[in-house]
Amino acid sequence: MATAPVTTPGTGPAAPTGRSQTGRTATATTARGQRRRRALTGWAFAAPFTVLFGLFLAIPVVASLVMSLTDLRSTDLRTPLSVDFVGLANYVRLFSDDLFLRAALNTGVFVLVGVPLTMVLGLAAASALNSGLIRLRGLFRVGFYLPVVTSIVAIAVVWRLVLDPEAGLVNALLRLVGVDGPNWLGDSGLALPSITVMAAWRNFGFLMVVFLAGLQTIPADLYEAARLDGASRWDQFRYVTLPLLRPTLLFGAVVTGIGYLQLFEEPFVMTRGGPLSSTLSVSYHIYNQFGFGNYGYAAAASYVLFVSIVALSVLQFRLLRSRD
Amino acid sequence: MRSQRRLAVAVTAATLIALAGCGRDSGGGQDEARSVSDGKATGEITVWAMGTEGEKLGAFAQDFMAENPDAKVTVTAVPWDAAHQKIASAIAGKQTPDVSMVGTTWMGEFAKTGTLDPTPTDLVDKASFFPGAWDTTVVDGTSYGVPWYVETRLIFYRKDLAQRAGITELPRSWEELTAFATAMKQKAGAESGLYLQPGGTGSWQSFLPFAWSNGANLVDGDRLTLDTPELTEAAAYYRSFFADKLSTTIDLGLQGSLEQSFVDGKTAAFISGPWHIGLLAEQGGAGFTEKFGVLPMPRRKSATSFIGGSDLAVFKDAKNRDGAWKFVSWLSRPQVQVKWYQTVKDLPAVQQSWQDPGLAGDPFLSAFGEQLKDAKSPPPMATWEQIAAVIDAEVERVAKSGTDPGAAVKAMQERAGSVGTGG
Repeated sequence: MATAPVTTPGTGPAAPTGRSQTGRTATATTARGQRRRRALTGWAFAAPFTVLFGLFLAIPVVASLVMSLTDLRSTDLRTPLSVDFVGLANYVRLFSDDLFLRAALNTGVFVLVGVPLTMVLGLAAASALNSGLIRLRGLFRVGFYLPVVTSIVAIAVVWRLVLDPEAGLVNALLRLVGVDGPNWLGDSGLALPSITVMAAWRNFGFLMVVFLAGLQTIPADLYEAARLDGASRWDQFRYVTLPLLRPTLLFGAVVTGIGYLQLFEEPFVMTRGGPLSSTLSVSYHIYNQFGFGNYGYAAAASYVLFVSIVALSVLQFRLLRSRD
Repeated sequence: MRSQRRLAVAVTAATLIALAGCGRDSGGGQDEARSVSDGKATGEITVWAMGTEGEKLGAFAQDFMAENPDAKVTVTAVPWDAAHQKIASAIAGKQTPDVSMVGTTWMGEFAKTGTLDPTPTDLVDKASFFPGAWDTTVVDGTSYGVPWYVETRLIFYRKDLAQRAGITELPRSWEELTAFATAMKQKAGAESGLYLQPGGTGSWQSFLPFAWSNGANLVDGDRLTLDTPELTEAAAYYRSFFADKLSTTIDLGLQGSLEQSFVDGKTAAFISGPWHIGLLAEQGGAGFTEKFGVLPMPRRKSATSFIGGSDLAVFKDAKNRDGAWKFVSWLSRPQVQVKWYQTVKDLPAVQQSWQDPGLAGDPFLSAFGEQLKDAKSPPPMATWEQIAAVIDAEVERVAKSGTDPGAAVKAMQERAGSVGTGG
């Protein structure tokens, strides 16, 4: 936006151009009047959105930020303005709250393991479908995508049955090969890994569709050229597919990261955050705190989560943006 | 750029104005109960109720309207899941109904908002209710409602398995209960001789009866006292069932397999409330009712169980306060309580209602009625749900990790103490 284009196709003659080079002219005042009218028209058009945005988004966001700086509790509901302003005390308390730290650790592990796992699965499925290794492409595409559009609560309930230590499918299969399967969701060491695998299974279908679209934009002649140079299948993947897919991978990583940082439904339905808080996520902790009526404290935790989401996205942009 | 700066200034100004109005009142006068006018109720009385109560109360109130022809009772059914949030929003918006059903453990929180009307002393006789139920309405010495219906917890056990285990005398003390569970496991082949909830939401309701029976008090004035020797002993006793493998550490309730495992005889006994009579009869099929019975809580210093249920509260913002209290007082009449029991199977909170043959003649229900005379609820406090979560977490550590009972109650006290009673 900093450089003025020499020709602007589609712009009428009324467009004020070259004002900085020529300096003040006699027409400056009329130009300013015109500008103001144009601005006014613009705002009039934008008003419906701006008002709605302000009422239902900006004001609540500002209010919640203010709320996170007070000791508002559910017992203050009748007199929400007569609360004490506590500054950053809620934020300080968060970082000495064992349960919040545990939740942060769980969520961190879930994101660190879950996002790469989901992306690898998605990319593998997309590559397989794209290279024609698999027949019945449409069927697989629908099959892999189905979990994404199914209600997460239904999926979580079904997986709870699948992982049931006695009647579950997983342990029944293990029993066939003579292994006595563990209590997947009841063991504090296995519950989070189980949920991670389930989340990867559920979400890789979405990434598969995105990556498939990305793969189809890569020109076939690049592969042809690579083959002529004697590149193996792996070399083609490594030196042609991956670099050209970088923007798509970035999109996938950011979207998945944002979703995974807000892990909530899976532990809510499957484990209630247990056993021994091993599947308590930050979102679940916030949900509990709102439930306990600690509105100020919960709002502070929400902002910490928000800042982590922004930080993770920035990090991913730095790591994965195209280097040119 | 300039408009952005202006926006920032505006936001900051708005924030400062909002903050300037902040600051807690230091005082806060004691609520005085006002009396209610004489005569019949008039006008519209709006009522919120949850679950089955919400569905059935509207039709049930016809009798009240027949008695008070100028009054009209309007009942709104609220789903349990949404109830807490809906009442909280109504309080914040000052758009409350006249009367609402309130879960007993919510009383502390809602009373502290200053939104509940103190119970008129001339209208309601506190001695007519079970004392444990009445206590759920009392916050800082003032009563803010009336118990509507109650429930308490007993030990459900398999009679046939007890016979197979050669048990002739039912357990009356802690030692006898341990022996009972051991015999059920070793001689009758049950996996869990007595299943206790191994932590998780609501496990405090299984754990605290042992603490209360051992003489524990959860609070001393405004201060929480969760690290007393009484609680430590109760935690050690609770832990012994898991350490001796008399109870599984799998949360059967969360898995939804508790009833089936009781019917299968894998679980020989467990602690629960009156709703399990119907559930077990349904799950076990014909004749299963003959195979199980209920036991009162075993005695230590006392034989105290947990009392739950719901209260009825009138709001200060009620448009028809007098009518509301008259409706509440009508619902607490002994004969109306009996009829309400016959309608939705809610156990009466009024002691006199239990003389009705429908209740006194039923062996299961009369056992619950007997236990209600010695049943407690945590003292109403604004932060109870959070403190309950702390207790649940420590009960889980005791049950699943075998944490030292002393360390567990110390952690309870530390974490719950930092929450406070909200007083």
